[in-house]
Amino acid sequence: MQTEFAFFPGCVLTQAAKESMMALGAIAPRLGITLREIPGWSCCGASQSQDVDPLAAMVANARNLALADDMGLPVLTACSTCLLMLRRAKTEMDGGRKNHINTFLAEGNLNYKGSSEVTSLLWVLAQNADALKARVVKPLTGFKVAAFYGCHSLRPESALGFESSVNPASFETIVNALGAEIAPFAKRLDCCGFHAVYPAENSVMRMTSEIVNSAANGGARCIVTPCPLCQMQLDIYQDTAQELSGSQARVPVLHLSQLAGLALGIPAKDLGLEYNVIHAGGITDM
Amino acid sequence: MATLIIDRFDGKKHYERSYSLADEDISGKTLLNTLLLIKQTQDPTLNFTASCRCAICGACGVRINGHAVLACDTKMDELFATYGADILRVSPLANFTVISDLAVDWEPSIDNLRKIHPGLAAKSEFSPQDGCRQTQEEFDRIKKQWDCILCGCCASECNKLTADRSDYMEPFVFTHAWRAAHDSRSKDPLLHGKPAVAGGLWNCVHCQECANRCPKGISSADDIAGLRAMVMAKGMTEGEGPAHARSFYTDLVEGSGRLNEVRLALRTEGVSTLARTGMAITLLRRGKMNPLEVFGGETIEGHDALVKMIEAAHASEKE
Repeated sequence: MQTEFAFFPGCVLTQAAKESMMALGAIAPRLGITLREIPGWSCCGASQSQDVDPLAAMVANARNLALADDMGLPVLTACSTCLLMLRRAKTEMDGGRKNHINTFLAEGNLNYKGSSEVTSLLWVLAQNADALKARVVKPLTGFKVAAFYGCHSLRPESALGFESSVNPASFETIVNALGAEIAPFAKRLDCCGFHAVYPAENSVMRMTSEIVNSAANGGARCIVTPCPLCQMQLDIYQDTAQELSGSQARVPVLHLSQLAGLALGIPAKDLGLEYNVIHAGGITDM
Repeated sequence: MATLIIDRFDGKKHYERSYSLADEDISGKTLLNTLLLIKQTQDPTLNFTASCRCAICGACGVRINGHAVLACDTKMDELFATYGADILRVSPLANFTVISDLAVDWEPSIDNLRKIHPGLAAKSEFSPQDGCRQTQEEFDRIKKQWDCILCGCCASECNKLTADRSDYMEPFVFTHAWRAAHDSRSKDPLLHGKPAVAGGLWNCVHCQECANRCPKGISSADDIAGLRAMVMAKGMTEGEGPAHARSFYTDLVEGSGRLNEVRLALRTEGVSTLARTGMAITLLRRGKMNPLEVFGGETIEGHDALVKMIEAAHASEKE
């Protein structure tokens, strides 16, 4: 088991999803994982800068990967969009752009070598589900969870490729290891719409509402997601989305790290549950 | 023994019908072979469209367990392996109106395709007499998009179309707009870019379903991103979409190197932030964000070098 990673937090974990950072910081030592933050990491472009200046976004991510190279560690991120942006940059670099882009990185005395693989919390926990299960001190027995993957954990499969994008199992493997129960959840592979919440607000609110209602219909006590952007969309906008659609259901939305933390016996305050907008305090109290 | 449950439609009512298939009849066969077998031996009333049987014509797009595939390019054995089941559901493409069983109405989609002017509107230097040539290198830049066979798999899976198709076009329409706009012989990229913007270019939700399901490996999501960059470079910067995208870029290059979420909301929404409960207000209220960040976060270590790298890349691009 790889226990040390070059950690790429991504912008959201340092700001609006600080509870995700708290939970990750709390569970990592319990799992024997050391996260070394990449010094000077920049925004991955978030699938947005790429629309303005794809070359600049490519250079920024090549720089991020080169910084990890220098640490001699694989990259771990807990944000699915960061995962996709970094993996796509790596694929392009390894696929023939390395020498060209390296001439620009030389302006900062950096050199991309391609030695650092890019992985995610979701994948690392799934790969080490037995070790995770062994550290569970408070199994979430009888706790029904709607496991929401989020697009950029799965698609496109050509860039991510950890598992089938149409029949994935990593998240369910983790939830089972934590002792929780998977709720029937027809919308588990859908898009939350976060990236277009401003330009396509009406559509995105409809998507958010349908996901929340799908989780509620399956009897889920909470939605859990490995992506902080999905968490933000489904949590922060849930009230608005449900009011617009005339739906009564409200379902707490947890980060994967928060759910894992609960099963590892970490107090709710250390997992930042008070920062979740839809009330999530005392969520595992039966 | 395996079972296909097929969603049927007779013009009035939707229903499903199950067909049992012996292993030896479907092992090594494609999904299209299997549908043909059912039609020939079990149910001649089953309707679907197909023609070339070799992934060129694009006529046989359907959904398996809710995910679009080209039936002639999909092996039954692989489907059983992917889903770990011997019962599969076959449905017509989503986001199209069903005409009969697995056959769908393409007319509205083709109308959208016409809007972006998919044909060549050539530069004035070309003429019918002398032809309209391009180099191999110029063709290579657009050859991926030329592979589109209009099978509709991207449109079927598009989460934005499912939510609301009134302000969005099918992903393949944007791919053809990109292809026409980036053809070295085209006289005006905006001839294709403007109708793309009018057809919802900025409303893509980045679900990546189009890129994931295309049997030809085309990424309409990338083509949408490319069209966005093109129209902005040509001055079409009005609206929340461009403002939102530029905010990320501004923070990366001109700001701290990381996204500033407080300013993101203000820049994107402008004064409308005051009119409704926006993301920033919710975040601030919950104590999830530092309001002082509106003045800018801490600049990352090595940001000067990052800017120099990007400037060098831009300079190289101009050479």
